[in-house]
Amino acid sequence: MTATDPLVEFDHVGKFFPVPTGLISGLRSKKEKPAVRAVDDVSFTLERGEVLGLAGESGSGKSTVGRLALRLLDPTAGTVRFDGIDLATLKPEEMRRTRSRMQVVFQDPLASLNPRMTIGQAVEHPAQIHLTDLSPKQRREEVYDIFSAVGLDPPKYYYDKFPHQISGGQRQRVVIARGLITRPDLIVADEPIAMADVSVQALLLDLMMQLKDEFDLTYLFITHDLATTKYLCDRIAIMYLGKIVEIGTLREVFTNPQHPYTRALLAAVPVPDPRHRRTEPLPQGEIPNPIHPPTGCHFHPRCSIAQEGVCDVERPTLLPVRGIEDHEVSCHLRTGAYQELDPV
Amino acid sequence: MTAETLYSIRNLTVEYDTRIGGVRAVDDLTLDIYKGEILGLVGESGCGKSTLGKGMMRTITTPGHIVGGELWFEGVDLMTLSELEMSNIRGNRIGMVFQDPMTSLNPLMRISEHLIEAIRTHYPRMSEDAARARAVDMVKDLGIREERIDDYPHQFSGGMRQRIMIALVLALNAALIIADEPTTALDVIVEAQFLDLLRSLREEFELTILLITHNIGVVAELADRVAVMYAGKAAEVGPVESVFLDTKHPYSRGLLKSVPNIDVDDQELFKMTGAPPNLIAPPSGCRFHPRCPRAVDLCTDDEPPLIDVTGDGHLASCWIYSDLPNRPTDGVG
Amino acid sequence: MHDPMLDEVPPEEQWQVDLGEVGLFRRILNGRRWYGVDWWMVVISSFMVAFFILIAFFPTILASYDPLDQVGPRFLPPGETPDQEVIVQRTDSDLESLADLAVRDERVRTGVVQGAPSSEDIRSQADRVNAELEAGGSDDEVRLRIVRFDTLDEMLTGVTTGDVEFGVGSNAEITAVLDDYPELFIRGPITGEKGGKSFPLGTNQIGQDVLSRLAWGSRIALIIGFTASLFSLFIGVPLGLLAGYTGGKFDRVFTLIMDSLYAFPGLILAIAIAAVLGPSIINVIVAIAVLYIPTYYRIVRGQTLSTKEGLHVEAAVSIGATKSSIMRRYIFPLVIPSVAIIFSVNIADAILTGAALSFLGLGLPPTTADWGIDLARGQEFIQRAWWLITFPGIAVMLIVLAFTMLGEGLMEIFNPKLRKQ
Repeated sequence: MTATDPLVEFDHVGKFFPVPTGLISGLRSKKEKPAVRAVDDVSFTLERGEVLGLAGESGSGKSTVGRLALRLLDPTAGTVRFDGIDLATLKPEEMRRTRSRMQVVFQDPLASLNPRMTIGQAVEHPAQIHLTDLSPKQRREEVYDIFSAVGLDPPKYYYDKFPHQISGGQRQRVVIARGLITRPDLIVADEPIAMADVSVQALLLDLMMQLKDEFDLTYLFITHDLATTKYLCDRIAIMYLGKIVEIGTLREVFTNPQHPYTRALLAAVPVPDPRHRRTEPLPQGEIPNPIHPPTGCHFHPRCSIAQEGVCDVERPTLLPVRGIEDHEVSCHLRTGAYQELDPV
Repeated sequence: MTAETLYSIRNLTVEYDTRIGGVRAVDDLTLDIYKGEILGLVGESGCGKSTLGKGMMRTITTPGHIVGGELWFEGVDLMTLSELEMSNIRGNRIGMVFQDPMTSLNPLMRISEHLIEAIRTHYPRMSEDAARARAVDMVKDLGIREERIDDYPHQFSGGMRQRIMIALVLALNAALIIADEPTTALDVIVEAQFLDLLRSLREEFELTILLITHNIGVVAELADRVAVMYAGKAAEVGPVESVFLDTKHPYSRGLLKSVPNIDVDDQELFKMTGAPPNLIAPPSGCRFHPRCPRAVDLCTDDEPPLIDVTGDGHLASCWIYSDLPNRPTDGVG
Repeated sequence: MHDPMLDEVPPEEQWQVDLGEVGLFRRILNGRRWYGVDWWMVVISSFMVAFFILIAFFPTILASYDPLDQVGPRFLPPGETPDQEVIVQRTDSDLESLADLAVRDERVRTGVVQGAPSSEDIRSQADRVNAELEAGGSDDEVRLRIVRFDTLDEMLTGVTTGDVEFGVGSNAEITAVLDDYPELFIRGPITGEKGGKSFPLGTNQIGQDVLSRLAWGSRIALIIGFTASLFSLFIGVPLGLLAGYTGGKFDRVFTLIMDSLYAFPGLILAIAIAAVLGPSIINVIVAIAVLYIPTYYRIVRGQTLSTKEGLHVEAAVSIGATKSSIMRRYIFPLVIPSVAIIFSVNIADAILTGAALSFLGLGLPPTTADWGIDLARGQEFIQRAWWLITFPGIAVMLIVLAFTMLGEGLMEIFNPKLRKQ
């Protein structure tokens, strides 16, 4: 647990969800029970003070990674480390205390707030649990401070409100406030702005940036919207069907995307400029069934450069792009052993 | 290309009864949809765009009702039609595509059955075999594999189901398609594929589409003209390039500048102050004036009409573009 | 770091604030518009329930008599005034009341018809008058000589001729033939009261007032209903919460037990328990309570299971809340509304089961004024005296209806998923 340890480390982490099968077929083959490999051999680090974007479409496993980082789920394989500590080794009481250092902001603020608690009580609850040396009065003051910090002014007015009495944008601020009151090191934000109105999204993004500086935060920012990541993130990881296909600094990945899927994603993002024309062709088809993913490279059936005999057989791994620091791609033809086959 | 009007909304007002009073979700709205165009209808939550879509089909249910206005479509004011006559138009002449297609597809009917039924509604004398053949053609046109035509709706993914919806609408040979958030539930790549599909279909079948969405990027990609709604009224209407690149209404300016653009480096997002108004007691005069950086007294007193700014069909409901002596100035920036 | 966005109160908040300021009464009235039929259901049934509760607390509002007393003739149909014993005398007689006779030294000749209860009645009335006189300090006494006639005719003739001072007999019978005796008139009831007793719903086979039994019976019904339901609730709800949240063996074992109990036909189970425990009101309550524990358990467990998956519970876990704290603050408050609603319907069912049990003779001591018991007894006389079974039956039906409607109506109103927007 040194100062140079990354704050979060995923070491070959896997999370499989068994698919419920009928009784008969369950009895039949004990060997290979079908499972959804929501997260499949994922490794990355998150350094203190950085914003790592985790981007992907549905089924990519990004939300699952977020939950694994917070130990809201336990990994089926691999190790999740927080500040050098393997989370799985923590006893329940220790884990509870560690939670004060890692908080979450979910997508749906209405669903993540208890409808029967006032927002003041909701934000005070973590303080009740973790900031035990504060008197009730001091705790309240903390809540007021945080409310002001997230822009809920005057704080006393908002304390007694219920979630349904405030707007969506304000609710998300409440959720952020709840995440901040214990002064955590890490915030995992899972689609934090997706449910807010367009104009409010900009405000929330701005708020998150300010808070990052003010509270010395590290963000794991999970989203499907690449345009937003550009605004907020230092590094970005692209996920597809449970695996990271590309990871690197924002600049690198956006200006020099290597993986065909990354290129497709970047091309597909709608641009609010009518003059914009898509230059890259879209991949065919849709995201395959996660229970039976394609063999070899998961993306190969939709990939424009896939090479038969290689991409449908062998699984690629994350390897550095030659000559570039901090840019890794999981593709046989880009960074793997078969680069000479690359038609480009 | 002369702009022939396909659907003309005149002074439409839709009200919802709430516990406190009446909410005018759409207030005295006038808008034309031209034949063969894709008109994007954008706005944030509560602006009334979904209500407008439903109002155009007269599918507004209690506690809402249409208070007044005319809906001119193919020479007839739809407000004068009986429910029976209206139901003949719905699904036949005007097709609707929703965010979640599962609500429109019968889970117990195969896709082929859906399509054949739709085709034979339009061509009652076509034989079942001929209808099936036509259905197969349509499905292939839309990128669905032929052998899947006998599958049930739940066996398809979200993107596929949307394509099926389009197929149905095409089979019925609808003159106008109202698409309410058709891509909101779709993944990014599927969404892009769907938009490409709509574009090519529009060419091939000369479709007219009203695209209702909150996604500014989608509108920029697909629409020919765009209408921005705010608090139940139209803030700005015009050709998409004109509206995006030379935005006139202060609200639209703020809105369009608050959307992250992946092509722009170091973007400064616009932060709009205030919040959408309470529609039970909307602000006096211009609905946007409490949040508007350019508001003057005139804006508080009088509601501005839609004013033609460029002479080229780009309209904005803002006093800046009037020629009144006490109008606000446009500090363009 | 003041956010200008928040200068204005957002719209949802504004009208919610306004809603908060709309008074409760106006909201209830406006409910008619918002909820339609359900509103009427809840309002009407609330009044009915309130009415029954009022009667249960103060049965004497409706009950003029003690339900166990034999206060009238047997099998008196509803609405009929019971026959009374009256004094019939000659028009020229100056006798005003029995007390007048006290001054006479002799025994006064009094005519009665053979076999009628008149002689006992007049004698007891005389005793009563004498007691009053003695209490007043008087030495005088009413003394009667009862003269028995074979028929009413003979008695009336005897009064006419002066053979007896006055006659005592049935009001109905005498009135029927009075025209034949122009010299006679009816003084009035023996007791001297004006007007008679009234039994609006008739009397039963013992002579008890049906209405009074109905009113007092409501108390038993509601006591059984409420207490049994409360028992079930206080056992079923915590078990359900615990099982739903912790799962595992506890959940499996208890769900097995509860499902088995639930699978039993309710009434049979109640009968079995009541028969084993013996007759007493507590045992009836226990029998019924056991019956409904599984209902609360299942519903609360189900709600807990689904609430547990909610995002706000996950958020609670993520902030480090303990299991008990989550159950208490994040799950329980969301589960309560459904419990409150089941409670009302539960009471209805409990009352019905209670009535059934006492109908079958189980549970309550046979002398209790209870609707079930009345129903059971009234069965035999359904041809002769239809009112004995009808009114308790209607009472049971109404109270069950009231509670059921209340519960169902509330459920419709408070469950937004079922309500059409």
